[in-house]
Amino acid sequence: MAVDLPSFLHLARPLAPAAIGVQPTTAPVNVIIQPQAVFSILDHAIRRDIRDTQSTRVIGALLGVRSEDGMEVEVRNCFAIPHTENEDQVEVDVEYQKNMLALQLKASPREVLLGWYTTSLELNSFSALIQNFFASPETGTFPHPAVHLTVSTESGKEIEAKAYISAPVGVNAERAAESCLFIPVPYEIRYGEAEKSGLELISGAKDSENRAAPVVSDIEGLERAVDQTLDLLDRVAEYVSSILDEERDPSNALGQFLMNALSLAPKVDPQDIERDFNNHIQDVLVVSYLANTIRTQIDLSQRLATATLTMGGTDALAATGGGEGGERGERGGQRGGNRGGRGGGRGGGRGGREQREPREPAE
Amino acid sequence: MADAVKEVPLNSVQVEALVVMKIVKACAASFPTTATGSIVGMDVNGTLQITNSFPFPTADIAASDSHPNDHMAASNIAAAAPRSKANVTYQNEMIKYLREVNVDANNVGWYTSANMGNFINTSLIENQFFYQKEPNERTVALVHDVSRSSQGALSLRAFRLSPSFMVAYKESKFTAENMLKTKLTYKDVLIELPIIVHNSHLLTSFLHQLPSSAPKDELKFPASLADLNANTPDIPLYPNLESLDLSIDPYLERTCDMLLDSIETHYTELNNFQYFQRQLAREQAKITAWKTKRTAENSTRAQQKLAPLPEDEWERLFKLPVEPSRLEGMLNAKQVDQYSRQVDGFTASITSKMFAVKSNLLPESS
Repeated sequence: MAVDLPSFLHLARPLAPAAIGVQPTTAPVNVIIQPQAVFSILDHAIRRDIRDTQSTRVIGALLGVRSEDGMEVEVRNCFAIPHTENEDQVEVDVEYQKNMLALQLKASPREVLLGWYTTSLELNSFSALIQNFFASPETGTFPHPAVHLTVSTESGKEIEAKAYISAPVGVNAERAAESCLFIPVPYEIRYGEAEKSGLELISGAKDSENRAAPVVSDIEGLERAVDQTLDLLDRVAEYVSSILDEERDPSNALGQFLMNALSLAPKVDPQDIERDFNNHIQDVLVVSYLANTIRTQIDLSQRLATATLTMGGTDALAATGGGEGGERGERGGQRGGNRGGRGGGRGGGRGGREQREPREPAE
Repeated sequence: MADAVKEVPLNSVQVEALVVMKIVKACAASFPTTATGSIVGMDVNGTLQITNSFPFPTADIAASDSHPNDHMAASNIAAAAPRSKANVTYQNEMIKYLREVNVDANNVGWYTSANMGNFINTSLIENQFFYQKEPNERTVALVHDVSRSSQGALSLRAFRLSPSFMVAYKESKFTAENMLKTKLTYKDVLIELPIIVHNSHLLTSFLHQLPSSAPKDELKFPASLADLNANTPDIPLYPNLESLDLSIDPYLERTCDMLLDSIETHYTELNNFQYFQRQLAREQAKITAWKTKRTAENSTRAQQKLAPLPEDEWERLFKLPVEPSRLEGMLNAKQVDQYSRQVDGFTASITSKMFAVKSNLLPESS
């Protein structure tokens, strides 16, 4: 479920000069990034304004939740902040940041400001300046450390990301605002159960030329999954047979693993399987049949409700028509039954269809 | 599309991957409460490109979460959110700010979450009507089904109200007579548009690294079983093997429950209508009685050489009951249609899975 980095060294960082009574936390920080935050950052990187600024990077704020002990922060959301940057100065739209933050928090009250991101890996004195802004008590995340996430978006290279927190470094007071020590912290990209299907769809488009993919139905998804499984099984079979032919080196561990996997297949009596299978498939088909019957009846009822006027009768006819739609199940049911049967037959393959079909109307 | 659309009518929806993820996240976070939000983008030659989205603030659910039944109330508030005044302001404000960071500053509709396909209701119609009646009528409703997405393929659908339904809804004429005249049936309420998901170049590049790119050089054999179990390779995101899951019964059961609910609604509608019919018949009987009485009275008065009493007074004396709106019934029919198609879909995949399992366990019988 997670894209993890290898082991990481947590450095103890120097303590910030704290206001009295508020103890800044010095605990190590783990950063968890949800995919939509990364997506959002990449989207922002594409939409950067190249006309009136020389800067190649964009910045934005990170939102999310922090665990109770402050050890783990989860970046769930982010928003872009307009800024301009040139040789000797950087300008961040503080007003914009404040307003946007208020708007975002209104929609998701549980999220808090966590830090900021930028779209280049470089850390410079401007980074320190912005970092201090986001870590300050008034406008930032103090007493928790502000997280700084850098994502490289250079074309032709892999997308790299790094997460940092910061500590003030000892220089004289005038320069304290524009200097700080960035300490790398581990991060992982983690996605939940709910996002999985979304990511699947999105990654489905990653190999296609026009970078687009249609939304598929359940059955198509199933087909692809089965294809994939068959492919994987073929590969395993090929590997095993090449070992049997002594073409490749055997591995005890892999052998054990395969044995374990094979032994997971349940041992059941064929008759039991046959019985359970027939029972279950009948249940499923009956549900499908009834659902279609209901649909036909409702359709009929709707039609009758509006169609009676053409017969030249008064509204009284419409009432009986509507009532009959519900009660006269016989005809509608028969039709729905045929449809349901066909639907089931189509889905279930051809095998055993003759055996099932006569039973359905009896239910 | 009989409506006089100046440009090319909308024929498909292209959703940016970012929007998919944002909607999925927002909907999953508030499940089972309904989540709604706004989508922005633009339309290019009949394809509506949706490039960003943001959720609507809901009445603080956190304050009321102590009550288990409250999520129904919260759902109702959230479902009504897209057309509430506060949210229109919120949306305009948000779009104003998004414009500053070069996001398409053009509202193109709204999204909502659904649970097992139960999204066809008056709320959806009212919201979409609210968006579609505005000067920029090229808007869509995106419906994300959280429960269905959790068991396999993502369920995201785009809907628009049909022009004929728009006209009928504007005049709120849902009488039998009018529906007969306009030939409006439940099948014509919503138009579904095909959805295409689109990735940016950067994102494509990122996706190729996710989970992590496959190792390039030859792998070493694991030393032991424990070693292998400890370092399981990352499973690729696509295709999703989750759809091979066999337990479909809970979904089927839930759909059946909701189907039964729909039938109940249908009967309530029928009863309402029958009540109206009886009421109408009674009133008409009364009117006829009054008319014959008045005619008789007039004929006696004519004999007595008196001026006849007016014969159309009954219009003032009696009031005919108002015909109940057919809208509810129509939506219900559409909902039933939707459920039964859903069941069909489930059946199709579960039967194939079951046959696969059977022939796997009993290879000789297949």
